[in-house]
Amino acid sequence: MRSRKTNIFHGIDWVLVLFYFVLVFIGWINIYSATNTEGNLDLMNFSTEYGKQLIWIGLSIPLILLILLFETKFYEKYASIIYLISLISLAGLFVFGKNINGATSWYNLGIFSLQPSEFAKAAVALAVAKLVSDKQFNLKKINTQLQSFIILLLPAFLITLQPDPGSALVYSAFIFVLYREGLPFYYITIGFIAASLFVITLYFGYLYTLISLLLVSILILFYFYFYRKKALKKGWIKIIGLFITAALFIFSVDVVFNKVFEQRHRDRFNILLGKTTDIKNIGYNTNQSVTTIASGGFSGRGFLQGERTQGNFVPEHQTDYIFTIIGEEWGFLGSVFVIILFMLFFLRIIRTAEKQKSKFSRVYGYSIAAILFTHFTINIGMAIGLLPTIGIPLPFFSYGGSALWGFTVLLFIFIRLDANKSYEW
Amino acid sequence: MAVTKKNILNRLNFVLLFIVVFFIAIAAQLVNIQFVEGDRYRGLSEQLTIRTDTIHANKGSVFSADGSLLATSMSQYEIRMDLVTVNGDVFEKNVKGLSKELSKMFGNSASKWETKLRRGKSKKSRYLFIARNVGYTDYVKIKKFPIFNLGVYKGGFIAEQTTVRAHPLDKVAERTIGYDDYRGAPGIEGAYRSYLTGVNGVRLKQKIAKGQWKPINDNNEKEPVNGKDIVTTIDVNIQDIAHHSLLRQLEFYKAEHGCVVVMETKTGEVKAISNLGRSKAGKYYEKRNYAVYESHEPGSAFKVMAMVVALESGKIDTSTVVDTGTGRYRMHGRYISDSKRGGYGEISAARALEVSSNIAFARLIDENFGEKPEEFINPLLKMNLNNKLGLPIKGEGAPLIPSPGHEIWSKNALPSIAYGYNLKLTPLQTLTFYNAIANNGEMVKPSFVKEIRSYDKHVQKFDKVVINPKICSEKTIGKVQEILKNVVFRGTGRSLYEENFSMAGKTGTARTEYGNYQEWVKNKKYISSFTGYFPAENPKYSCIVVIHKPDKTVGYYGADVSGPVFKDIAQKIYTSNHEINLAENKVPEFESVDKNFNKYNKLSDIELKSIPNLKGMAAMDAISILENLGLKVQVEGNGKVVEQSLSEGEKLVKGSTIFIKLV
Repeated sequence: MRSRKTNIFHGIDWVLVLFYFVLVFIGWINIYSATNTEGNLDLMNFSTEYGKQLIWIGLSIPLILLILLFETKFYEKYASIIYLISLISLAGLFVFGKNINGATSWYNLGIFSLQPSEFAKAAVALAVAKLVSDKQFNLKKINTQLQSFIILLLPAFLITLQPDPGSALVYSAFIFVLYREGLPFYYITIGFIAASLFVITLYFGYLYTLISLLLVSILILFYFYFYRKKALKKGWIKIIGLFITAALFIFSVDVVFNKVFEQRHRDRFNILLGKTTDIKNIGYNTNQSVTTIASGGFSGRGFLQGERTQGNFVPEHQTDYIFTIIGEEWGFLGSVFVIILFMLFFLRIIRTAEKQKSKFSRVYGYSIAAILFTHFTINIGMAIGLLPTIGIPLPFFSYGGSALWGFTVLLFIFIRLDANKSYEW
Repeated sequence: MAVTKKNILNRLNFVLLFIVVFFIAIAAQLVNIQFVEGDRYRGLSEQLTIRTDTIHANKGSVFSADGSLLATSMSQYEIRMDLVTVNGDVFEKNVKGLSKELSKMFGNSASKWETKLRRGKSKKSRYLFIARNVGYTDYVKIKKFPIFNLGVYKGGFIAEQTTVRAHPLDKVAERTIGYDDYRGAPGIEGAYRSYLTGVNGVRLKQKIAKGQWKPINDNNEKEPVNGKDIVTTIDVNIQDIAHHSLLRQLEFYKAEHGCVVVMETKTGEVKAISNLGRSKAGKYYEKRNYAVYESHEPGSAFKVMAMVVALESGKIDTSTVVDTGTGRYRMHGRYISDSKRGGYGEISAARALEVSSNIAFARLIDENFGEKPEEFINPLLKMNLNNKLGLPIKGEGAPLIPSPGHEIWSKNALPSIAYGYNLKLTPLQTLTFYNAIANNGEMVKPSFVKEIRSYDKHVQKFDKVVINPKICSEKTIGKVQEILKNVVFRGTGRSLYEENFSMAGKTGTARTEYGNYQEWVKNKKYISSFTGYFPAENPKYSCIVVIHKPDKTVGYYGADVSGPVFKDIAQKIYTSNHEINLAENKVPEFESVDKNFNKYNKLSDIELKSIPNLKGMAAMDAISILENLGLKVQVEGNGKVVEQSLSEGEKLVKGSTIFIKLV
């Protein structure tokens, strides 16, 4: 066994590396299709978006080498410090940040801009891994639960303030990681019920939802009264308490939706719930996106042949709506290929994570699987009209240097951690 | 409680299940949008990417009989500015220069313009109004102003083109030439809309990029068909005389409104038609087409019709004597009076028409036809006097000649009709009858359009339409013609008499708005007219002049108010027309006009392959030649051509624009 000191590639999972480059390559092909308007190929040119992206991809190789150069211990030891630096960089935006499209998410570094929220994901994943791998860590304890939530909510809160609620939403992915590591199931149940109540309230209005809730509660009380009289004596306060909590939640949904949300947010939900159909204005993006994917048909129109892609029908199709290009130019076959590719990629990460002997590495692996999966689901769900319009990038595909580097860092830290497993034994 | 192995496996499986559910949802939705609903979405996609563009057909022009443009379509521009696209430094550097140029072109001080531009800039205006109704030449100049010369994307120059209908001869015959837009469709433009408009073409275009559309096929899906040109019967020279003569007379007599129509005797072609009404500000303009729409009591002008019927019946001859007494005569309980103090005494029927005696006509007709009024009325109807002429122009007034039994019929109706009351005719209807007299009994319909042309091809020619081939016997015609000549020679129209040329006609001075007699006496209102033809022998043209409500303190007799307009027209046509020019000495200024016409004739006869030299040519001729060559013409100024943007000998490209400057 050769020492890592002589070969930084030792123990590397080449399958994951291959996945990475295949995804980045396919992504770039589609960015090229989206932003190539002149028809002549002009690579490595900062004036075109595909040229810029190619430079970012090229520069990601030294970045990867840098990540691989550090010892595994470094990431574990300095996880808290990396997390702190990340928080500071997010907070610093409010002072030094540059406002692009209404969100102060960027540092302007002259020839390029950096988006710290893209790098914060890796930092939070490291912090969570560090926290969970602690010997004292027990998710059954309320204290530990609070600790975990604070670590997640701090960056999410800062990002929401930018405002970039889409990126903040990604941190909810860590619920699955924590669940895997012992978080009681009722958190997931509560989350699921809350989400269901949210949608039901929006769809039917809070009055009908409240009445239905009351009826269900009364039915439950009757059930206990007739069949489980003993349990009722102890449990009726709990049932009424739950009912009141749920009722308050429904009220708050109504208040938040109508008072806190802006019209564009409300529109996005209303379109998805089928309460509004206006393909020219508020529903424009979703409609254009779905139409574009549909126009690809079974086998697609071919590379650079998608007339809606080449005609720039879908706004932001090189970033958030890049899946529309796959849909139009590569068709159903291409879309399914990309989806399967992602699925295999996620399974590979989860399988690799599961094999880790170090708890730190394993939790980190789960974290990145959860983050990537959330990005993937929200992005594609939005593009095909399953989810409301939430603008977050498709990992490794979407145009943007910070996003690409953020995901690269996220993945290659894991590859680095995994490479060490052989002598951690 | 420790996390057991089985517990972990369950939890892992739950997470995996969750992932799988999402993948299935995504796959299901993909199948849904690409297969289940695929066709609907693809249809939607086609709809959104392909659009049909209308290619507007060029509207035809309206020409005068001699080829002058009366109405044509021209491009106009509305200039606006997008100040957001203009770079801040560029703006600062050039704002003064631009303001100066704008001030030169549109007036207002340069500093005012600068303030406006700066305010627009700070307000981030993307559509700042600069000017409207800008002609092509000015548009070209404005495009070269500082900042604007950077173009649309850097200079924020926005020019919105609209097509407007231009009338090179300004307001002349405006009501008859008409228009066809949101205001309505009067006149020739409205009547011949189907010819002028053309048919729009269609082109299918596909979106190839944001804001870029390319035609799908090489050819248009439907080629536009340009509108046809209308050649009217209007003679610009006669029209000009008629217009200005009428205008002068209206102004002199402070009349309310008036009209004049000149018609070619043989063909019925309307050579000039002018309708002027007074605006609130006291100016006269083409207000309504009085000649066509306004039917009114013709007064003495109708004595000619009465005379024709009387002569035809054989009951009266020109020599029949009638006693008009002392100028006041009581009939059926009502007084009829003549204009001459003391009356005309015993006079012949012919003389009665010459001096326009109301008493004579009332007595002659009432005494001869009173028992059987239909014997008088029916012949009038036979002469088509109670029918509309059926003009293509909208809004022709209906004539009214009551028959016994009609609601306005009474014992007094017959004698009243004899001298022109209790009935209604439009000026054009009256003129048509007089023209029939001039034309030896053949009544022809007035026409406004000679032919319809498409470039050089004749599409449709309009021949003369005969309404009534013979309204009465030649004998009667001869007698009436003789009397009408005498009206001018020694009758009510004698003030118009001229030794050099002969005219024939009849004056008319009709009371109007006399419904309330007390009111009328206080403020007497008249309609003064003169209807006739010239020369008296072998008439070429007939003409009617009607002037409503002249200021009676200045004058109100037909011969005084309307007669001079008639004479003016006749005189000028005489002196400028070879065939009926009796004076041997030509006025030099007309010589030069003829020379210009020669040049025009020469150029218009040969088929041109390149741009001709237009310098020195009259504007209307130059425009006519250029339009016939298929060029678009932009004109600046008035008069003769001094500059042309495409020089002599340059290759002719149909549809290109030439700019001519006139001085």
